[in-house]
Amino acid sequence: MIVIVNTTSDEAITDTIKQQLAVCKVEAEIIEASNLNIGHCIGCNYCWLKTPGECAVKDDYEEILKKIVHADQLWVISDTALGFINHKGKNIFDRVIPIITMNLCFKKKEMRHVKRYKKNANVGLIFKGEADGDFLNRWMERVALNLGSKSLGAFKESEVKEALSCMC
Amino acid sequence: MHVLIINASPRVKQYSNTDKILGAFTKGLSEEGATFSQYELSDRRSWDEIRNAYYENDNILIAMPLFVECVPGILMEFLETLKSKNDGTKVSFILQGGFYEASQLRCGETYLEMLAKNLGLEYAGTLVKGGNFGIRLAEGEARDKQVEPFKEMGVEFAREGSFFSPKCKAFAGPELFPLPVRIMVGMAFKFAMPSYFTKASKAFGAKKPLNYRPYK
Repeated sequence: MIVIVNTTSDEAITDTIKQQLAVCKVEAEIIEASNLNIGHCIGCNYCWLKTPGECAVKDDYEEILKKIVHADQLWVISDTALGFINHKGKNIFDRVIPIITMNLCFKKKEMRHVKRYKKNANVGLIFKGEADGDFLNRWMERVALNLGSKSLGAFKESEVKEALSCMC
Repeated sequence: MHVLIINASPRVKQYSNTDKILGAFTKGLSEEGATFSQYELSDRRSWDEIRNAYYENDNILIAMPLFVECVPGILMEFLETLKSKNDGTKVSFILQGGFYEASQLRCGETYLEMLAKNLGLEYAGTLVKGGNFGIRLAEGEARDKQVEPFKEMGVEFAREGSFFSPKCKAFAGPELFPLPVRIMVGMAFKFAMPSYFTKASKAFGAKKPLNYRPYK
């Protein structure tokens, strides 16, 4: 199952994705999140220490998190700001940390958190606006490393077809 | 030298590791005769004041924890409200994280240099340091000891006006641990740390094990 979180107000991107996923019969949850109430991660560490696996911030992200833990792929569609994804997109990634535990291990040469669930979703990004694509690809690789999954890449809005080829 | 310091941790000041780091760092600044004013992004009521300070000061230091390999969402949200300055204002960063290896912070560091450019600010380097998760779990002298090395970096920053000196670069520590250390630390993670973390978790009031899966 694929989870797609659209933090932009542009539903044309998700319409295109919906149509193509229907053709290739891929199960997907598409969440239009631009008007949802999703705050930033407050860094309380409760999801690791006090209520393992559960976020202390009770807002619309909780339902998204419940879907992410069962997903094979997580895609975030985000506007950009200052050469990066904007805060709405970043908040989706920052709030995902309940899916890893605070226990640690070495994977290859670096420390990693131990996964909470058997498998974590591979992660992909579709960005709308000016940003450094090379940096975003590097960043996505790092995100995936620390989630113990794989990066599907960072794609410009104009490259939705390429992103779709990873989904179908 | 006067430095505008913005603590970009989303955690409230009382529990902010970044704040404890800044506590030691600013002691070093003061020892060298530099002055500073510090603001916390976690207090949204002060954002207007911080914005004004951003426009009025020409030497800015933004300190933050690494959040999912880059800057915390709350910092992006604040920065998105600012206008580019393009007036020679300097910006430096302190980027701290939980993992010990400096390699874990390099992607975030790369972004901070890009960020300076995108804000029309003159980049004056990033002080990179990992291994800070334990600040949260320590108290009193043990905590002071953990952050104490940042005081010397405050002295260095006051003298140099940037984080480009060899001393600041070396402060990051090893990029990766050598294999024997990885084996030893890996064993500690497997056999000793889980019980330490479980103890810490219980002190927080946890009723479930650390690896609990609430959404099966």
